[in-house]
Amino acid sequence: MERTKKSVNVIYVVLRLLTVLSCIGLFVSSLNPARISDLVSKTASLFTSAISYSNTKEGFTRALSAGWISQGTITLLYVSSLFTFLGICAVIAGACMSVGTRKLQRLGLYLNIGGSVVGIISIAGIYMAYNQLFDSPLVSKLQPIFSAGYYFYWAILAIILILSIIVLVLSPKVEKNEKYGMESKYKLFLLFVPFIALIFVFSYLPLWGWRYAFFDYKSGGTITLDSFVGFKYFTMLFQNASTRSDIVKVLRNTLAMSFLGIGTSWVAMAFAIFINEIKCKPFRRMIQTLTTIPNFISWVLVYAVAFAMFSTEGFINSVIGGTTNYLMSGSHIWLKMLAWGLWKGTGWSAIIYIAAISGIDQQLYEAATVDGAGRFQRMRHITLPGLVPTYCVLLLLAVAGILSNGMDQYLVFENPRNTETIQVLDLYVYKLGIQNGRIPLSTLIGMVKSIVSVVLLFGANKISKAVRGESII
Amino acid sequence: MSKKVKQQKVFYRRKPSDIVFNIINYGVFGIFAIACFFPFYYIFINTISNNDLVKRGAIKLIPKGLQLQNYLALRQVDELGRAFLVTVGRTVLGTALMVLASAFIGYIVTKQEMWHRKLWYRFMIVTMYFNAGIIPWFVTLSALNLTGTFWGYIIPGIVAPYNIILVKTYIESIPAELEESAQMDGASYMTVFRKIIWPLSKPILATIAIFGAVGHWNSFTDSIILMSSTPKWYTLQHILYNYLNKTTNIQAMMSNPDMIASGNQLNEKAIKYTVSMVSVIPILIVYPFMNRYFEEGIMLGAVKG
Repeated sequence: MERTKKSVNVIYVVLRLLTVLSCIGLFVSSLNPARISDLVSKTASLFTSAISYSNTKEGFTRALSAGWISQGTITLLYVSSLFTFLGICAVIAGACMSVGTRKLQRLGLYLNIGGSVVGIISIAGIYMAYNQLFDSPLVSKLQPIFSAGYYFYWAILAIILILSIIVLVLSPKVEKNEKYGMESKYKLFLLFVPFIALIFVFSYLPLWGWRYAFFDYKSGGTITLDSFVGFKYFTMLFQNASTRSDIVKVLRNTLAMSFLGIGTSWVAMAFAIFINEIKCKPFRRMIQTLTTIPNFISWVLVYAVAFAMFSTEGFINSVIGGTTNYLMSGSHIWLKMLAWGLWKGTGWSAIIYIAAISGIDQQLYEAATVDGAGRFQRMRHITLPGLVPTYCVLLLLAVAGILSNGMDQYLVFENPRNTETIQVLDLYVYKLGIQNGRIPLSTLIGMVKSIVSVVLLFGANKISKAVRGESII
Repeated sequence: MSKKVKQQKVFYRRKPSDIVFNIINYGVFGIFAIACFFPFYYIFINTISNNDLVKRGAIKLIPKGLQLQNYLALRQVDELGRAFLVTVGRTVLGTALMVLASAFIGYIVTKQEMWHRKLWYRFMIVTMYFNAGIIPWFVTLSALNLTGTFWGYIIPGIVAPYNIILVKTYIESIPAELEESAQMDGASYMTVFRKIIWPLSKPILATIAIFGAVGHWNSFTDSIILMSSTPKWYTLQHILYNYLNKTTNIQAMMSNPDMIASGNQLNEKAIKYTVSMVSVIPILIVYPFMNRYFEEGIMLGAVKG
């Protein structure tokens, strides 16, 4: 009895793993059995084939109008994919129920059996649609593909079917008064599962995309073993003269602007210390409100502001009567970018320091005044030391983010004259990968950047722990 | 009587150096504040002044030849109207889903009894500190067919770990007795969430909602990256970016017959300014009311841990 229970539990674990596998398979385009022909989009996964009819039909538009393929085949293909999907959904629901009470488990098993039977039949339907392609007068135009997905889903669903039946036979009969239910720890977990899936897809799955750095990959294509090039792009980074000079230039810009940013990070602190000396409350309030506005507009709008002020027909020129377009000039770009960064961020960054100042004990100021300390002495010896801890944390975080200055600002301000000095790492990767389609090289650079950033962050955290005894992350 | 004494005291303390300091201090802050605000004022008066004067650069500090036709004319441009709707749509839907998800996840992860709670919480939090990079992200999204669809704006932003931390910290400060008594009465997790947690955590939810909305309204890199071949999903910021860079789209608009008839023909500058205003006005309107939430938000961020 005890042994059956144990083996049933093992089978349940296997069932759940298989379910997760089939669920992931839904989103992998190379495992899509519904991609019966090369005309179907390469990126279509079973999920998209099943939920969007237009997506399935799209690739066949020409073939359909030319009469190479019948409407019936497409309908069969779509309906079969949909039912495969629904079958897998039932299996997923069944797996969720398998953590409940015995009665719920039983219901889950029925769902598993039903779902896998529906799935197996529907995959056969897709296979039929695939075979119908060969009846077409112009098979070569349709480019039929035999997908690995058939074996994948048939195998998984068949195993799920068999295991579910075995468990159903093995597990004892449910008593009459038992209820549907689930332990709260599993209930909470199942409520969280959809979000785990989202996090996995959008934060962890892209890591799998790092493999593109090792393959000759073209946008929209697929990866095959033939295109494996190992460390070709690593060596290219160092040996190809033009790439190397690009990288050196981009790194120089990135580091220069990051260090300028770090070098002026005290400005926000100074802003807070000096605004604290303004005793007129309404004036102070107004200053704070006005200076934080720029933080809430996008970089495109900052550029619009720059355009209104500094372009040929901008405010400055209309006042002094000149016609210089300051935006097109390529000189002092680093300083200009720094200035825009300060314009946008100082008022906002100061808020955190202003709050820290309001946390300083007022009695300290009074005592200092009694002892004859002047305004500057109070600022120097009371306010400033009160802010240094906050400053250190922010400084360490800034150091950790030294390679990530984002691309928005530099993208909007970039023009042919300043592109040499404005291109930072993020912008370079974007241009290389998305505009020029050089996926492997840009993935590689992004990968190195991510790894260095994480190392820097942990380094900064270590320093913080050693010096202040507190971690920053 | 007491007032007089106080005044005397202040007078007694004020040294000439203080006066100089104050003048400089007030002056510097005043100039900075003007520098932050004036550009918006300048753009605004240029959009409501006569377009010919605008073209000649005659509008410097005060609007002349008041008119509101620019805004009405731009309303007729399909591309802009659509971009406005897309931006409003993503702001509303994206923010709503993000807030709902953050509230719900924030609640779930406070429950100690969850299966492997610590593991899953860390699984979520570490994503704040690394990312695979923009290219693998793009390739993943295109493999999921999220490029070129409205959902590409919404779905990746639903789970926002940083906001979840804020909500979680806030929920932990709600007295546990409230929830326990409800659970004694047989309330399920969902009921507790709806009836107790959601209403009580409204302040923090308002804060993250505002940050989320500003983020959605302002974001344009995702529009550039994901929608490069589907102009119908461009956001307002993306359109503005295009207008500022290229003039191709603008030429067609300049021949608006109504405006030529009224002697107020649109020109490149006026169009650029007006589109800028359209995309900044919602922020400027919302901003003064929400300032408090913004500041609360940054403070909460500072004490997280």
